[in-house]
Amino acid sequence: MGAHPWSPFQEVMADPLQWARSWKESTGGKVIGHLLPDVPEEIIHAAGALPLALEGAGIAISQAQAALPGYTCSHAMGLLEMGLKGELDFLDGLIIPYVCDTTRNLYHTWSHRFPDRAHEFLRLPKRLDHPGARDYLRAEFERLCSSLGLMTGHMPTPEDLRLSLQLYEQSRAQLKRAYRLHRERPSIWSAERLWLLTSSAMRAPRQEHLCWMQALPWDIEPAAKPNGRVPIYVRGKVWDPPGILEMLDRLGLLIAGDEMVSGFRSIAGELEAPKEPLEALVSRHVSLPLYPGYHKEPARVVQDFLARVKVSSARGVLFLNPKFCEAAGFDLPDLQKALENNGIPSLVLETSARGVSLAQIQVRLEAFREMMTQELF
Amino acid sequence: MNPISTLRDLKQINIDYYTSAHSARQNGKFIAYVNAFTPVELLYAMDFIPIYPENHAVILGARRLSEEVAPAAEKLGYSMDLCSYARCDLGSILTGKSPTFGLPKPDLLLVSNSQCGTLTKWFEVLSRMYGAPMVLIDVPHSGNGEKDPQAEAYVKGQLEELQGVLEGITGCRLEKERLRESIQLSREASELWTRILLLGSQRPSPITVFDQFIAMAPIVAQRGTKVAVEFYKRLLDELEDRVAKGVGALSHERFRLFWDNLPIWPELRRLSEFLDAKGAALVTSLYTWAWATLWVGQEDPFQDWAEQYLYTANLHLRRRIETYVEYARQYQLDGFLYHSNRSCKMVSQDIPELRREVARRTGIPGVILEADHNDPRLYSIESIESQILSFLEILQSRTGRTS
Repeated sequence: MGAHPWSPFQEVMADPLQWARSWKESTGGKVIGHLLPDVPEEIIHAAGALPLALEGAGIAISQAQAALPGYTCSHAMGLLEMGLKGELDFLDGLIIPYVCDTTRNLYHTWSHRFPDRAHEFLRLPKRLDHPGARDYLRAEFERLCSSLGLMTGHMPTPEDLRLSLQLYEQSRAQLKRAYRLHRERPSIWSAERLWLLTSSAMRAPRQEHLCWMQALPWDIEPAAKPNGRVPIYVRGKVWDPPGILEMLDRLGLLIAGDEMVSGFRSIAGELEAPKEPLEALVSRHVSLPLYPGYHKEPARVVQDFLARVKVSSARGVLFLNPKFCEAAGFDLPDLQKALENNGIPSLVLETSARGVSLAQIQVRLEAFREMMTQELF
Repeated sequence: MNPISTLRDLKQINIDYYTSAHSARQNGKFIAYVNAFTPVELLYAMDFIPIYPENHAVILGARRLSEEVAPAAEKLGYSMDLCSYARCDLGSILTGKSPTFGLPKPDLLLVSNSQCGTLTKWFEVLSRMYGAPMVLIDVPHSGNGEKDPQAEAYVKGQLEELQGVLEGITGCRLEKERLRESIQLSREASELWTRILLLGSQRPSPITVFDQFIAMAPIVAQRGTKVAVEFYKRLLDELEDRVAKGVGALSHERFRLFWDNLPIWPELRRLSEFLDAKGAALVTSLYTWAWATLWVGQEDPFQDWAEQYLYTANLHLRRRIETYVEYARQYQLDGFLYHSNRSCKMVSQDIPELRREVARRTGIPGVILEADHNDPRLYSIESIESQILSFLEILQSRTGRTS
């Protein structure tokens, strides 16, 4: 571990692919990549491998433009770019989840381009409020166990799964504690540090990560109270563009709640302890804040979102909508309307748009903050 | 160009269809908004009239009304990156502009995501707008078409449950005899449509894909009815007569091309005339074939629907490559026109890989045309024509045929 308690997390996130490659070389372990969201890390861990979360946003695109049309989201484009450049050659397997049409087509292209590399398509059901979806998801998790067994050479046993679930639950409990501290002591537990913790948890060995977290200054008194910070709720996919969290901190915006797949959604939900492991994973999956690619009764989707925002006590909502993401785009107007009807302001930032600068985003966030605090009037 | 006279019947067929939809309630019928790959035979057997918001959008696009209606949806926050069918349909609801006097309000929204995920999201918006119930038939995708018995059980279970939903809305039980009749009519229409599409392999082809795009309305919306069967019988007769007399759809067929993806509806006439002038016949396509295989058997239609949505309608790259390679042989193709359609990511994102592989395996070139199926603001027709022209010059140099 580095001298500073935050160093190990920073080291992982400085270059996650290089860090995982070095880890593999030094330990001889297996590394399984998974595109966010919703591949259960616990199953990969139980199969004896390091789960490595992959996100395509923020990757400079060159080769992938010849393989996917320009109106493809950067999340998919970025993954393919990494693959075409050989940056993912060290992986022992890759799992792409079916969460939208684009991930479906990304899988086709990946499978066709790299037929000899171990890969799997996790067929996530979309109709999450239907009992049949639970049965199907359970069967899919079983199939994933078998597939990972072939990739890693170790078929996860029920006991492996139980221990993995336990470890991840401990880790998530600690991360949830960090979220609580962010709301109480944002000067130390900044939004950027929250990102550092949750993102590195999805890339480093979880046991080690848990040890690193235990060494953090959980009990230090705050250097400054959260007074003056404006609580916001954030909805989107991944924290993008890079630097957005540091900007939120700097502008005095506090994350009262979020449902980012690389944020709180990665630790949301709780496992029901007495349940059989795969059944417990199914329960957790269906209880997560609804990712736009899934379906539930349409009116409830809006009502539930509004309820989550209200519970968080946020004074405004920030939508980080990835460009070309149809699922998020169709939800947006009705969600904004519901917020407006309840007197909650919102701001939409279209992320991953080529050519958008951080300076432009900062101006819009500053204006949003002023609007929430009525400093303009 | 040699126009097909039977296609003139479509005007009255469409008028009758939308009139019956608007008067559904007076006639004790119900309205279900649907998409492709939903069991319309079941709906017809239970007094539902299936209505396709997509078809409504097509009418708006073909009448060049997209630019008048879509901005109303965009003003509400629906991005221009979203499907232009959805933006046009929502914009039409908001502005009241519609050649069909709009669509009657739905009693049910029924959608299957084996076509795409976009329809699910669009229908969610409509469900909230109308306060109407929505049923999603969730069809898992296995990646490369692998058999998935768990998925079959999941999809079949949802379809069986749908019957109960329909009975709940109508207050009537399904009459098996009516379902049998509807399935029989659907099968007849599908077989006729298949025979029509196969005629494109004749040289010269008696029908182009442009004609097919126009002729497909009944197989989409009215399969399971006598209207569709009778129309396709008449159309087939006329086309077989053409084949017997050696009459082609084009006056001089020089190049035989494949059209991939949906049409560019606002440019249907212009592109048709442009290609006709160059002697380029579009003889077959992926899109029109999609409706040739949507029939089910009488023994266990729910299982057949489930398998059809899972394995036939569920598009994947490998089968698409195999199909196109086979079409190249069967239809004696000279080239492929791939419409990279901004509004249909589902069908378009595989195109770069598809084009590369089909060209490698067949030696037949293809060109990718960047456009949109309904929004003229998202493409330049002049640039598309210029690309096609250059492509035809390449074909000309390969085949030695003069244009």
